[in-house]
Amino acid sequence: MSFFTVVLRGLTRRRTRTLLTLLGISIGIAAVVALVGLSRGLNKSWAVGMKARGTDVVVSNMTSSLVPKPFNDSVRDRIAHLPHVDATCTLLIDLMSVENAEMMMVSAREWGGFAWHNLKIISGRMPNDAQEKAVVLGRTAAEVLKKKLGDSIEIETAELKVIGIVDGNAWVENGSVILSLPLLQEITGDQGRINVLDIRVTPGSSHADVQRLCDQINQLIPEARAIVASDSLNQSEVSRIVQAMSWSTSLLAVLVGVLGVMNTMLMNVFERSQEICVLLALGWKRGRIVRLVLWESAVLGLLGGIVGVIIGAVGVKVLGVTPEIRGLLEPDIGVRLIAVSIAIAIAVGVISGLYPAWRSSRLTPSQALHG
Amino acid sequence: MLDAPTANVFEAVGLRKEYDDGTVQALRSLDLQIPEGEFIAITGPSGCGKTTLLQLLGALDRPTAGTLVFRGSSIPDLSDPSSYRSREIGFIFQAFHLLPTFTAIENVQIPMLETRMPSSKRKERAAELLKSVGLEHRLNHFPSKLSGGERQRVAIARSLANNPSVLLADEPTGNLDSDNAAMILELLERIQRERRMTLVLVTHDMSIAQRASRVIHMIDGHAVSDRLTSVNGVYQ
Repeated sequence: MSFFTVVLRGLTRRRTRTLLTLLGISIGIAAVVALVGLSRGLNKSWAVGMKARGTDVVVSNMTSSLVPKPFNDSVRDRIAHLPHVDATCTLLIDLMSVENAEMMMVSAREWGGFAWHNLKIISGRMPNDAQEKAVVLGRTAAEVLKKKLGDSIEIETAELKVIGIVDGNAWVENGSVILSLPLLQEITGDQGRINVLDIRVTPGSSHADVQRLCDQINQLIPEARAIVASDSLNQSEVSRIVQAMSWSTSLLAVLVGVLGVMNTMLMNVFERSQEICVLLALGWKRGRIVRLVLWESAVLGLLGGIVGVIIGAVGVKVLGVTPEIRGLLEPDIGVRLIAVSIAIAIAVGVISGLYPAWRSSRLTPSQALHG
Repeated sequence: MLDAPTANVFEAVGLRKEYDDGTVQALRSLDLQIPEGEFIAITGPSGCGKTTLLQLLGALDRPTAGTLVFRGSSIPDLSDPSSYRSREIGFIFQAFHLLPTFTAIENVQIPMLETRMPSSKRKERAAELLKSVGLEHRLNHFPSKLSGGERQRVAIARSLANNPSVLLADEPTGNLDSDNAAMILELLERIQRERRMTLVLVTHDMSIAQRASRVIHMIDGHAVSDRLTSVNGVYQ
């Protein structure tokens, strides 16, 4: 038997209460994992999507809306000749309600542009020309919309034919309805307007070259902003808002967890005050009693953290396959998020145990001889 | 030939203990000497200060005034009272106070956690102590599965965990039937005799007190009598 046996026995003394407290922390930590995982997933999906399209620099106007604000496609002509620009591809990307899917990524690309090149045909074919009234579906989008080759798909008032199912090598690409740019411009009445300009830089360009290119574009084009593709969502206001909201909601849930653990540990100390006095009478130092209470609450936090991470991970997996989210973003629960979540849970335990530990240290051993 | 005088383990002079800003006077100028290796009984009616005296001897509380010395060191001035309790004192309570979520052998190991004894050694020692109180067949039983007498025997084994020089027992037979009470008393006497420990036992029961070598009778915080008892008709 060791000191930790005493710690664990303290927790198993009132199993139901310990389990309920553990559940309370777990839910708080699950909220951290799920919400932060989803917001990180949003970032990652955009970044991976751009990488899959072969984009090095993205020119867009990311405001506080979920999709960039449209601007004139003549911007491309002002950029194409700049040093280190190898190729450009104009896009109009929107989140639209498509048939039974309430929110679906619709990605219209300049016909022949490099953004088409990384799409791998699984079945069917690519459009024959920019005017063909047809779409290709990312494989997840096809599953969500329950469409197969030859089916019709309605985007706003236009009826288009599904001519191909593709693998876009990224969650966001696979969840998209992909069509030629002029087609969507015609459907939405945005002729001559785009909201994303993808740039591929010349091979061998250094990071400094790319950064210089961004600076040049930003001086030339006031209506949009050029950003290195991997940084694009970090600099977006909506991304920051989503992250701030996910963390603040998570912290509220964690605060509830703190109150739960504190209540349990206080009850624990009150119920065991006689026992604590006996331990003091048997020669235990006050410091050991304080450590006992803090360790108990820290272990409660640790276990709550582990269970919370599992609940959160399973929860986002389940959320990830719901029609509302499927294909839009891939939850990102990395080792770092798991470690941070468990560290938060342990901190919750220790912080919650401070007041009960202080209370336990105020008990006097003479009470052991009474009762 | 005269025996050499025995050194005192405890000495109290003018010992006072007050509660509630002096409205309750539990001990009123008590003078006391307890020699090494003796079995002392403290008797008296409820509220006379017996348990308070035990608390002060065990450094569970501090006196209001007076001096209280353990082998030449002032108990109230001890820098580390928990260490004193851990090394020198073994407590036996009327209500046993075993920890309910620990088995008998684990309960006995609890005081040893304050020492640097390795885990295997602790277990071995706890088993030996339980064997010495006749509970070798109950090592892994929880207190709820033990009889009152067995619980008190576990508590006695626990009090011996760190090999103390003094046992302080507060009504150790108070919650037991007469058979178990007799057995516990015999056990305490045997331990005191074999280990040459100082045993200070608080009791209401004069028949128990008579088995001690000395009886201190207290009333209203004073020691009103302090006398030797006779064993086999011979006063010691």
